[in-house]
Amino acid sequence: MAESKEEVEVLVQRVVKDISSAFKRHPNIDEIGLIQCPEARYNRSPIVLVENKLGVESWCVKFLLPYVHNKLLFYRQRKHWLDSEALVDITCTLLLLNPDFTTAWNVRKELVQCGVLNPERDLYLSKLALTKFPKSPETWIHRRWVLQHILHQFSAVVHKTQQQVEAELLSNHRDRLIHQEMKVCSDAACRYPSNYNAWSHRIWVLQHMAMGNIKVFHDELSSVHLWVSMHVSDHSGFHYRQFLLKELITELSQSPSSASASTIFCSSQHQSSIVPRSIPQANGELPLADSASGDRLTTVLELFYQETELCSDLIQSFPGHETLWSHRRHVYYLWHQWKKDHLPCSDGRESKLKLLGASDLGGIKQTCVSQGESVERNRHVSGPMEVDGASLPDHDSKRLRRGILLPCLLTLQNEHIFVNSILNSCSNPEQKNFALAYKNWLDTVISVQI
Amino acid sequence: MSAQLKDVIIKPDASSSLLLDKHADYIAAYGSKKDDYEYTLSEYLRMSGIYWGLTVMDLMGQLQRMNQQEIIDFIKACQHECGGISASIGHDPHLLYTLSAVQILCLYDSLDAIDVDKVVVYVKGLQQEDGSFAGDKWGEIDTRFSFCAVATLALLGKMDAINVDKAVEFVLSCMNFDGGFGCRPGSESHAGQIYCCTGFLSLTGQLHQLNADLLGWWLCERQLPSGGLNGRPEKLPDVCYSWWVLASLKIIGRIHWIDKAKLRRFILACQDEETGGFADRPGDMVDPFHTLFGVAGLSLLGDEQIKPVNPVLCMPEDVLQRVGLQPDLLS
Ligand SMILES: [Zn+2]
Repeated sequence: MAESKEEVEVLVQRVVKDISSAFKRHPNIDEIGLIQCPEARYNRSPIVLVENKLGVESWCVKFLLPYVHNKLLFYRQRKHWLDSEALVDITCTLLLLNPDFTTAWNVRKELVQCGVLNPERDLYLSKLALTKFPKSPETWIHRRWVLQHILHQFSAVVHKTQQQVEAELLSNHRDRLIHQEMKVCSDAACRYPSNYNAWSHRIWVLQHMAMGNIKVFHDELSSVHLWVSMHVSDHSGFHYRQFLLKELITELSQSPSSASASTIFCSSQHQSSIVPRSIPQANGELPLADSASGDRLTTVLELFYQETELCSDLIQSFPGHETLWSHRRHVYYLWHQWKKDHLPCSDGRESKLKLLGASDLGGIKQTCVSQGESVERNRHVSGPMEVDGASLPDHDSKRLRRGILLPCLLTLQNEHIFVNSILNSCSNPEQKNFALAYKNWLDTVISVQI
Repeated sequence: MSAQLKDVIIKPDASSSLLLDKHADYIAAYGSKKDDYEYTLSEYLRMSGIYWGLTVMDLMGQLQRMNQQEIIDFIKACQHECGGISASIGHDPHLLYTLSAVQILCLYDSLDAIDVDKVVVYVKGLQQEDGSFAGDKWGEIDTRFSFCAVATLALLGKMDAINVDKAVEFVLSCMNFDGGFGCRPGSESHAGQIYCCTGFLSLTGQLHQLNADLLGWWLCERQLPSGGLNGRPEKLPDVCYSWWVLASLKIIGRIHWIDKAKLRRFILACQDEETGGFADRPGDMVDPFHTLFGVAGLSLLGDEQIKPVNPVLCMPEDVLQRVGLQPDLLS
């Protein structure tokens, strides 16, 4: 197609306009894509809207991209003037085609900074770009910048206002933002496996917007439970669980007063909501203990217990996944470290469990792996659970809740029993290799630290 | 249900000898197709692209085929008022491209082409209170940028311009229980980030802070039956990750922990016998990025047709000798 320079210019201006008016007329566009279409169809726009999906016909991209690309660079070199509306339109087209063009995002940052562009619009644009380019590092970087910008605006308002109502509005807005980020991250994680940028963004969001907020962390742990069970090769998803677990355990292991002292954006009005006394349990997940330190410890033990159970279930149901064995190392290591810090004597149950009010320690047996009532595991595992080659006894969940049976389940000896049961029963060669590597890891890394 | 191991199968007829002449022709021709749509798409990282192409040409003893004056003029035009250097003309400056530009100028022994003092001011200005580095003025933090900062300053002999202790403290705060590193504290271990962090600790003389055995363990587990290395569990093997893992192992003195012959076979199988160049995996499209890391990996594995490469800076050792820089390696 030998188009003249003028023809290309007319074409491109029309396409840029079509894209921006598509967004104006259809504010619910939720996905972008390229429509494979090597030839132009007479007198029809290459911008196609089907339901809420915006498509660009592929024939026009080779004209469109170089043109908008060069136009923006001319502007950047002050060889060509563009008003802010034109800049918004051009960078929008450009970034939907090439979202790693850092300088185009930077132009939009400047527009946000001078108040010409609403930061929410860039959360939207970058979300759309991620539907087609779920890894795009520059898009995730821009999102973090926009979020920081919004958070700064929040804290400026919080410092100015003494109004309870306003503070609450901001708090709701923040919760909505967190929720939206989690959704964007899940979508990107579904579109590309082991999406490092998506999962590390998710961690960043919690670190910057929800630190110390046990409820948010706990909800996240529940919400990715099903996801990781369906994506057993996704190491990044499991790493996210490890991050959540570690933060929750650290937070719960602090004294209640210091935990509730953490703040979100230096607003005293928020503090009451940071450490809730209890969590609704509509989904049957474990309840958060209230502030009594014994119950907090019980919650920690339950978190370890449930994660180990989840991991055992998945390893047995999906043999040969390195990710699952790697997860087991992380969880066991975390437990091992926590035990060293919080249950100091060599078999720590004697000391701390008394504090927890356990009376029948004599009844604890190494093999009493509990069936538990956890809805979490029943959701995913259909067959009967076998550990140690034997069917497991049913068990009194109230005793589990009180943490009596827990510490004995996560012993080094039980890990060896678990590995041996896999080695003895499994015919999958990869599973065997991973089990041996885990055994080796226990013997070298963990044993030397005891 | 059984997992399918994520790996590639190397066909018996895959190339098994090194086609250096083809690779040099491929790189020499690459830059001449400037109007390409592809060329526009990748302009945002042009400076790094030039570094990849020139470094692999130098490793193959073919640097003289590239247009030195044109490249140096281009770099000059990419330095900004703030001292930082951008990927291309009209783009915004960034630490990533500042390092690439400084590396290129070292290859050409032409650091005086740019205002070096301003580069130092730029890098210094990006260090944050916690010791970390932002990639540019917009503030994104990543251990990659810590590496870019110290690598740039080390090549310029100006490491004392920054607070090295604080910088080290931040990088160490990104260390994970498996001995690896992620992009920020709490992030997942990733071979590319590990390369940056071990390289950083080498340049700052802090390799003793690593748990070399534990990290070596994790790195060795990246080797798959095909011989190729991946960057994280259950990812496919890739020539670029093979470099990052291999170079990290070299830095921590554990390169003999992997099967070198198998890795060599994997890397050679990633060559395109027709066009020259290396792809990420056998049969995929080649590009200059994987071509550099394929050739550099073979150099680390001891191939004598290629110049020795430095594992920390991914530059020819003779260039670093000229600069007077010998980054630490563990034995
Ligand atoms: Zn690669």
